[in-house]
Amino acid sequence: MSSAQQTADPGLYLPRSARIEAVADLTAREKFFRLTLDRPLGHQPGQFVMVTVPGMGECAISITCGPREDNILEMVIRKAGNLTGVIHGLKAGDTLGVRGPFGRGFDLAEFHGRDVLVVAGGLGLVPLRSLLTPMIADHGRFGRITLITGARTPAETLFREELARWREKDNVEVIEMVDSTAHLPWDGRVGLVTTPIGALGLDAARTTVVLCGPPVMYKFVLLELDRHYHVPAERIFIDLERRMRCGVGKCGHCQINQAYCCQQGPVFRYSELRDFPEALA
Amino acid sequence: MNAFLASPAQVGGWLHVLARTTALLWPQPKGSRNFSFLPLAQGAPVSLDRYRPTVVPPSRHLLPADETLFTYRCEPTGEVRYQPPEAPPRQILAGVRPCDLKGIAQLDAVMADAPADPLYGARRAATAIIGVDCLAPCDSRCFCAATGSLAFRGGADLFLTPLADGVLVEVTSDRGAELLAGAGFAPCGNAAALREQAEADRPVPFGRALAASPAELPAVLRAGYRSPVYGRHGERCFSCGTCNLVCPTCYCFEVRDDLALDGAGGRRSRTWDACMIPAFAEVAGGHNFRPQVGERQRHRLKRKFEYLPDRFGTGPFCVGCGRCGRQCAADIDILVMINEIVAEQGGAA
Repeated sequence: MSSAQQTADPGLYLPRSARIEAVADLTAREKFFRLTLDRPLGHQPGQFVMVTVPGMGECAISITCGPREDNILEMVIRKAGNLTGVIHGLKAGDTLGVRGPFGRGFDLAEFHGRDVLVVAGGLGLVPLRSLLTPMIADHGRFGRITLITGARTPAETLFREELARWREKDNVEVIEMVDSTAHLPWDGRVGLVTTPIGALGLDAARTTVVLCGPPVMYKFVLLELDRHYHVPAERIFIDLERRMRCGVGKCGHCQINQAYCCQQGPVFRYSELRDFPEALA
Repeated sequence: MNAFLASPAQVGGWLHVLARTTALLWPQPKGSRNFSFLPLAQGAPVSLDRYRPTVVPPSRHLLPADETLFTYRCEPTGEVRYQPPEAPPRQILAGVRPCDLKGIAQLDAVMADAPADPLYGARRAATAIIGVDCLAPCDSRCFCAATGSLAFRGGADLFLTPLADGVLVEVTSDRGAELLAGAGFAPCGNAAALREQAEADRPVPFGRALAASPAELPAVLRAGYRSPVYGRHGERCFSCGTCNLVCPTCYCFEVRDDLALDGAGGRRSRTWDACMIPAFAEVAGGHNFRPQVGERQRHRLKRKFEYLPDRFGTGPFCVGCGRCGRQCAADIDILVMINEIVAEQGGAA
């Protein structure tokens, strides 16, 4: 035990104070937060942080900005309960506690020179924006980049202005889907995120696939991919969500069969998940 | 290392001396038939007799039910100051049997795994352990021999073996030697022979048997992933989580914040949680990754016999103490379930 104690970080569970610089409404339920930390976060795309409101609690939140050298942290938070309800009431100048970054994210170098298909259902776009932002900024280093986003209705779409700017780049295609227009103006397409996959004409050997969305989305996207292309399971990344209370592999909540989502994930290769029946159930 | 011989009365006297300066927890009767690791009160009798396993295992004294992660204070400037908890007090866990020593060793492995848990590490470092050997099964639920914990000695600073005419006291660490300083016990030159003789007199078989060895169980459980055994026993399960709370190797926790009455400060703590409780794997928005009780039973069993043994390589995380079955209101017994799955899979691999 003495060796364990020597290496233990006494601050493992201590948040760092972060100042809210900007808050923006994205939809009726989602707000965008830009925070300034005391030092650069130093994260990988796909990682997450634990966000604290002192006296209220702590929850896992995806990082939505790409890797940065400044002290900025960007997040999108859905009002889903008491804690996120309080966070929604905060404004610029208020503070939050932050721990992290935690988990295993994406290694951008592994995407260099590859065609990339990104399928983001609902809030799945939030963590994947941390991967897409550096990819689009440096799009010459990648092959063809295709992003399919899905939302229930136009009122629930995220980052549309940014998607429009991405679409202008060479070799970048953005396909926006909604399940239903709900009688709202809409210039994207109507259908599920699976609908456009068959007509993309992907080159399976050159393509890396990235998925993030509600649990029900995965098996249908994987079936559709399998029907039209045979992308090797090692080249399909899935960014999973689980309940996380500690972020450091101790509390047990995020366990998926033998994997701790907060340690071995939240980004997994599909080839790893085939041993975990609970992962995509 | 050194060994000594003492009478039970001398051992009792020595433990009372230790208890004067350090919190010393010893298994003592509680209620009509249960035992609990309680502070040894002045003059309380010290019995080395076999005891019914305590409801709550001693490992829980290293991972308390409500442990402060930090306190915080909001300054008038709006700044929040987070403060780590105070160093834990020294304690002596005494009268810990082999199965519970194994439980503590498994928690040591989990909490030392990077990133190491600083609170557990500090508490463990402040805890001395005095083990006591088990020479007869504690009751009809026992199966520690089957899980390989009966012979476990790791983590103890001193180890006591009750003999027909006294107590063998073996020193197993420097801290143990310090605890024994001034006890005045008679040196013993043939400790190994005495202990081996005492252990050779144990009944055979010792407690219940597993239908497959712990080394074989991961493969059996993988093959039986969809076994109906989980659902069949799950039908009786109340999803109360008692089996988790009394398990020496369960460590999952929930995190909660408490606000001070002045609203300007408070604390965050971790409290015991249980993967058998329905909402354990539920995420914001209500999706539950293990909604069925059978899925949760499977998760519990596989953690003990497959997931954690595979991950840490330190043997089964079920130590065979029998507590989960003993305390279960619906008489769901982990050994019975495992043996049914083994039988269903056509016996051991």
